[in-house]
Amino acid sequence: MLADRGSEWMSDAKWMEQLQGILDCSLRQFQLPVSDWRSNGTKTNRATKSSRSTSAIKVGEHMVGQEGQLWFALYADGDAITVLEIGKHQLSETEKRLLGWMISLLKSTQSAAASNVTESERYARELGAWITEQLELPDTQLSVPEHLMARGRLFSSMIPFLLVCEQADAAGSSYMELEKLLRSFLADDVMLVPLKQQEWLVLGPVSLIRDAQSEEREGDQEESVEESLASITLGLQEMLTSEWIGECHLAVSQPISPASSIIATTALLRETIHLGRTFHVGTNIHLPWLLHLERLLSTIPENQRAKFVEQALKRTDFFLEPEILSTLETFFSLDCNVSETAKKLYIHRNTLLYRLDKLKQETELDVRQFSDAVLIKIVLLLYKVTKRK
Amino acid sequence: MAGVRLEHIYKKYAGTDKASVTDVNLDIKDKEFLVLVGPSGCGKSTTLRMIAGLEDITEGKLFIGERLVNDVAPKDRDIAMVFQSYALYPHMNVYQNMAFGLKLRKFKKADIEKRVREAAKILDIEHLLERKPKALSGGQRQRVALGRAIVREPQVFLMDEPLSNLDAKLRGQMRAEITKLTKRLEVTAIYVTHDQIEAMTMGDRIVVMKDGFIQQAASPDELYNHPVNIFVAGFIGSPSMNFVNGTLSDQGGVVRFKTNGVDVVVPEGRSQLLRDRGLIGKEVILGMRPEDLHEEPVFLEASPNSIVSANVEVAENLGHEILLYMNGVGNDTVIARVDGRSNVKEGAKLKLAIDMNKVHIFDKETELNVFETKELSLEKK
Repeated sequence: MLADRGSEWMSDAKWMEQLQGILDCSLRQFQLPVSDWRSNGTKTNRATKSSRSTSAIKVGEHMVGQEGQLWFALYADGDAITVLEIGKHQLSETEKRLLGWMISLLKSTQSAAASNVTESERYARELGAWITEQLELPDTQLSVPEHLMARGRLFSSMIPFLLVCEQADAAGSSYMELEKLLRSFLADDVMLVPLKQQEWLVLGPVSLIRDAQSEEREGDQEESVEESLASITLGLQEMLTSEWIGECHLAVSQPISPASSIIATTALLRETIHLGRTFHVGTNIHLPWLLHLERLLSTIPENQRAKFVEQALKRTDFFLEPEILSTLETFFSLDCNVSETAKKLYIHRNTLLYRLDKLKQETELDVRQFSDAVLIKIVLLLYKVTKRK
Repeated sequence: MAGVRLEHIYKKYAGTDKASVTDVNLDIKDKEFLVLVGPSGCGKSTTLRMIAGLEDITEGKLFIGERLVNDVAPKDRDIAMVFQSYALYPHMNVYQNMAFGLKLRKFKKADIEKRVREAAKILDIEHLLERKPKALSGGQRQRVALGRAIVREPQVFLMDEPLSNLDAKLRGQMRAEITKLTKRLEVTAIYVTHDQIEAMTMGDRIVVMKDGFIQQAASPDELYNHPVNIFVAGFIGSPSMNFVNGTLSDQGGVVRFKTNGVDVVVPEGRSQLLRDRGLIGKEVILGMRPEDLHEEPVFLEASPNSIVSANVEVAENLGHEILLYMNGVGNDTVIARVDGRSNVKEGAKLKLAIDMNKVHIFDKETELNVFETKELSLEKK
């Protein structure tokens, strides 16, 4: 019998792509009323007639369509049947049977996997689908509907992380595996919500912040919430890198009540990862409170950015020198402190001053002057983006 | 423990024409401490990340032990990584930080306890096991990060600039500790740094990289004394090797190197090779280590054919030695390292003897070291 599991077939379009490559012809899926499938019986291939004569339509069963195309039954959805249409109809009978067998095998594998889905995964997938859908809409302030409230869990304050992993294996990685890993690492009550194929929203308990802050070194100032969130995210990223499937990107925001702001927060985290990856290549942790300037600059059209860089700098190629780039980045990260920068770079203070003088000579901008420093910081951000184009 | 073998490894990022790593071949022996060193963008970190499984390998084969691991996930490669950020898990104490990887791998509680305590003892952090990372100093955090790797007892340790966030004093201290630790644990380690002092002091073997190519893979001693090209010669050593452009001539059977302010004789034992390579009458680059320029009278008397005159611009007294920055030898500044008890002052005019048995001669076109390479027609990397 055909199972009612359309969503799983739809979610796994990869095999269709592969099959299309092998057959070298067009493939498509479409729905057909079951009655039409049955009424098409006159054109059915003799080899499958016996199976079709029974009341059930079997997965992988095939027939020749109205225009002479080859149709394979994939799954039933109420009164409709989803059909895979293969444009090439000059396949041998053995090839057709092999295709039918492959489709039924795929189906049974997927059904087995689907039967292992836990209640929490089913719920998380539903919530994820709703979030993804809402993010396509212009209004991002929507509250979570009643049926997705997860027995009140979404009303409590939680830390939202957005996890993006582009490793080839990520798509195939199981939800359960990742959820288990996150529960061991963060807390038992963590929520993992799959969004896109390689994107997950992770909701962790706020108690993590307290746990991270619980001890202070003597003389140290108390860590801010943002600092704690940054160190938790860094630790999470390091753990996922070594214990999951490799490199990934993470963004985090201040704790939220997901029931009312999950959409806005997910949108913010997505934007944060996009900005972080655009302006800070090589960085895997992206924090929205550190990307204000980048957010502003990203709104400037590309041609205007390039024009601005050209006009602001006497010599743009000077920033290509890795020594100057790393010097400036360190200088800015240490609040333009010459001594600290020299210390961090393991160079003599005079060597640093010499480099900054050279920069001034080449660009007519003195990074030790506030206004010039602002300009260089902006140009540096824009330059890194425009240079890569 | 196991060795690591890289066979014709390439890394090319999508949308770029140039490979970031080109044809890397390395056979890292079991228990070897290998250092990948080179300037920023040379491909050393990319190579390490491919070994770690954090970057896909575009082409080539990677073996850990006898296992081909190109398509094996990082967690299944039996490696442990320590990175520059050495991010600890802030919500866990030191014990939990070190035990986490073992817990995931379903080790028995008693085994975890044993391994963590042993590693803590080796790293001298037993007294910190109950503390949270926030309550630790930079050096202590670094030790915990190492401990987290040690307890796993992996086949290979991978370290990417693990000391670069530490201050200079702690960096020196940890350098020695990591070396001692890896020897004691008898592990295979691959260590990435841009710091040639770290490379020279830590590695059993050093791989110098530039623009994605391996320039030379050799022991620290071999690299320092027998660099195969001008890049390696200039990169290894502090202060760097001095390079002077000049011409070789053969006058009455004696090969001489001449340039502005320099007319010195190449020892007979080394001259024939220069003749055989057809370099007589051609422009070459003479490479001299700062310690191969001598101002001691004994040396000057013994080397009358390799004396040059120089003007001392700056004398940096480091106590046990003095670095002299001079002009008059070729067109650029030349640095000599002389004894700390020497009396040389800034502004002095000085006679120096070059130890011509230790100098290097580089082909100007290929930049290869004439004395260290068989062919000069090798492609310049």
